[in-house]
Amino acid sequence: MAQIQERGSTHVYKVNKISKEEMESMVERCVYEHPPFCSAACPLKLDARAFLEAAAAGNFKKALQLYEKIAPFPLVLAMGCEAPCEQKCRIGEIGDAVQIRAVEEAVSRFGQVQKLGSIFRTRKKKSVVLFGSGLFALFLAGEIEKKAYPLTVFCEESDLESFLHTETGFLDEDAFRAELKRLKGKDIQFAFGCTIDRAFFEEKRAAFDVVCASPAVRKKVFPDAVSIPALMYCENEKLVSGPYAGVMDAAFGAKKAALTVDRLAQNLDPRNTRGQEGPVESALYTDLSEAMALTKTPVSSAGYTKEEAIEEASRCIQCRCEECLKSCAYLAHYKKHPGLFAKEIYNNTQIIMGDHQLNKPMNSCALCGQCTVVCPNGVDMARVCLDARRNMVSTDKMPLAPHEFALLDMLFSNDEAFLSRTQPGFESCKYVFFPGCQASAIAPETVKAAYLDLCERLDGGVALMLGCCGAIGDWAGRTELEAQTKEFLDRELSKLGDPIVIAGCPTCKKELQSHEGLRIIGIWDVLLKIGLPEGGHGLERPAALHDSCGARGDKSTQSAIRELAQKLDCTLVDTPYSGDRSPCCGYGGLSAYANREVAKELTDKCLERSDAPYISYCMACRDRFAREGRESKHILELIYGTDAGAPPDISEKRYNRLTLKKELRWELWQEETKEMKLDYDLRYTEEARRMMDERMILTDDVIAVMDEVRKTGACIFDEESGLYIACRRIGNATFWVKFSREGDESYLVHRAWSHRMQVVKREG
Amino acid sequence: MAEKNYYTIDPEGKLKCMKCGVPLIKGKAKFMYLDNGFPVELPVCPVCGFVYVPEELALGKVASVERALEDK
Repeated sequence: MAQIQERGSTHVYKVNKISKEEMESMVERCVYEHPPFCSAACPLKLDARAFLEAAAAGNFKKALQLYEKIAPFPLVLAMGCEAPCEQKCRIGEIGDAVQIRAVEEAVSRFGQVQKLGSIFRTRKKKSVVLFGSGLFALFLAGEIEKKAYPLTVFCEESDLESFLHTETGFLDEDAFRAELKRLKGKDIQFAFGCTIDRAFFEEKRAAFDVVCASPAVRKKVFPDAVSIPALMYCENEKLVSGPYAGVMDAAFGAKKAALTVDRLAQNLDPRNTRGQEGPVESALYTDLSEAMALTKTPVSSAGYTKEEAIEEASRCIQCRCEECLKSCAYLAHYKKHPGLFAKEIYNNTQIIMGDHQLNKPMNSCALCGQCTVVCPNGVDMARVCLDARRNMVSTDKMPLAPHEFALLDMLFSNDEAFLSRTQPGFESCKYVFFPGCQASAIAPETVKAAYLDLCERLDGGVALMLGCCGAIGDWAGRTELEAQTKEFLDRELSKLGDPIVIAGCPTCKKELQSHEGLRIIGIWDVLLKIGLPEGGHGLERPAALHDSCGARGDKSTQSAIRELAQKLDCTLVDTPYSGDRSPCCGYGGLSAYANREVAKELTDKCLERSDAPYISYCMACRDRFAREGRESKHILELIYGTDAGAPPDISEKRYNRLTLKKELRWELWQEETKEMKLDYDLRYTEEARRMMDERMILTDDVIAVMDEVRKTGACIFDEESGLYIACRRIGNATFWVKFSREGDESYLVHRAWSHRMQVVKREG
Repeated sequence: MAEKNYYTIDPEGKLKCMKCGVPLIKGKAKFMYLDNGFPVELPVCPVCGFVYVPEELALGKVASVERALEDK
């Protein structure tokens, strides 16, 4: 019996490094975290998406909180802002842009004003002085106060109202009153009626740590001062000040100036550690196909009412790139966008000591490549997950458990169930039919019918090769095993005279394409060329065609299948995500072995596209859909009028392969197979059979246990259940069987379980 | 100091070794996996040393420790 070496120890303290460039090339393709275009255009970086979402939900309190983050005086900003966000709004490309500024104004009017700061608010130690008035001074005062610096403002105006009035003539009476109330609530010391000249300035500044001034004061006091606009700072004069034009520019200038104040207060160079400031370019992808409300809500001179603002905010389509999350059940399951997920999976491979928490997610990906097709930037999670699996196999950190059953199945296909023969009467053949391991396991009669048909209608001889193409080893990240399979198949193919491979499965076709000098065609191509055999017919009801993930990017296979379906008089219904965008059925990438839950969600995702019966051209898809109770047919079943029936369990899948091999050997090559009949009677309760399928326990495993019991007599009797219990270590697992004796030579299996840990008696 | 055992099951005379014809007793055993060992007390045949791992234990505690070690 084939075996795979289990990793020796958990105490492996080495990793194969993944280069930063390699990691970033994958991570950076994902634009999920790019800002929406409106926010990217805003120099103040308003989270306009979240703001509009809150406003659309009527939550003006939250919306105002978001807006106040960028605007200490929201009405001043909202009523004077030039709204660069609206120019970048994506809906603006197909209709009216969302009137973000008008919504901001309404939110600022109707939103609940924040409670005033506590009198116990901790003030910073360094003090700041600001000379002058106007928009820049007003915004800067607000920003500095927000940062909790003790601030004193010297201005020429006689009172607070006049101070606020400077350059804010565009505010209406209500707005002015609201902002005045807000200003009054701020922790700022004012000195009104000052005559600000050089002498006054020098006298007062000495008492403060950081000095700021409006552009007008700066010009008066230091007519030759040069301000660096990016810092809003006159270096020689050690004065925070700078020019601006318009409300938005004043607010942006105040933001930059406030950061400069912060740096100066800490005796740091204002040039450093500023982060990204001002508008940015965004590469976010937005799907506009579902944008509905393209006409703006009209704005009266008094601005939006609360209801109108909600209506207008609701037009926002909440730009987000979630193309992959919408289409892939695996990514949706983990609720992570590929940029983040890829980084976590790469990091998982680099853990020297400790838990590899991303092992399961890394092994759950179907490696189907759908994300790469639906992603506007070609994000490739399959590559990330496969590279990570290979990396961990290479350092002996990869657990064998999730993939062992599938890998043993591959070895079984290429050993006990393997068959390679030339067509009777031929020394070497022009073709070899390679149906794939799943076809022989799930629909042996169909494989037989197809092979006999090809033999009859193709010239030059058609050999048969029943085996596994090696995809399983590839998916498991076991490159060594994959290479061994490749070598083995190449050797066997050469014995047949290096024929052209007629693949019965798109995944086999893809996998075998990596063999040097091998010519491969699909059986679908052959059947289109030679015509359909007699007796085939389509389904009576309209059906959905499910494209195999193995045929992604293989337009010729996809269209050949459609042509065959047409010839069979099938009526096909349109489904979303077909062709190259098709999701995986859950078999791909060994997802079903590593994570049944995700695999089921992948299957469900395929089936939710249509209520119709499904036609597929990969036997694994056919099997998984049938398992979920959907009427499911492989195109070859329709072509050959065969019916694979109910989906087989894991033991039946092995039995079917062996039986097919045995029958064909006898019928075509008159070779006898040694009977492997048990010399005792072994039966299973229905529950035992179901349990074994779920727990990946084969009848062969149970037989091995029972053989041992019969040989050694080693078993125990459980008085409570009245049943016998025996076990045997097979490969990397211990299998337990609970059974009853139904006579001298007859046993009924009630339960079966297994564990990978070894258990031994301890002395002492 | 008492010896640490990760798990204890007492068969309470309800299990019998068919090979040796004696009841299983609570005995010392050890689980080994990926170069890690865990002392336990399980039903053991005092004569041949057969150690019984009940289904609940195999699918519960044992399985969860296996998963945890596999991800080390």
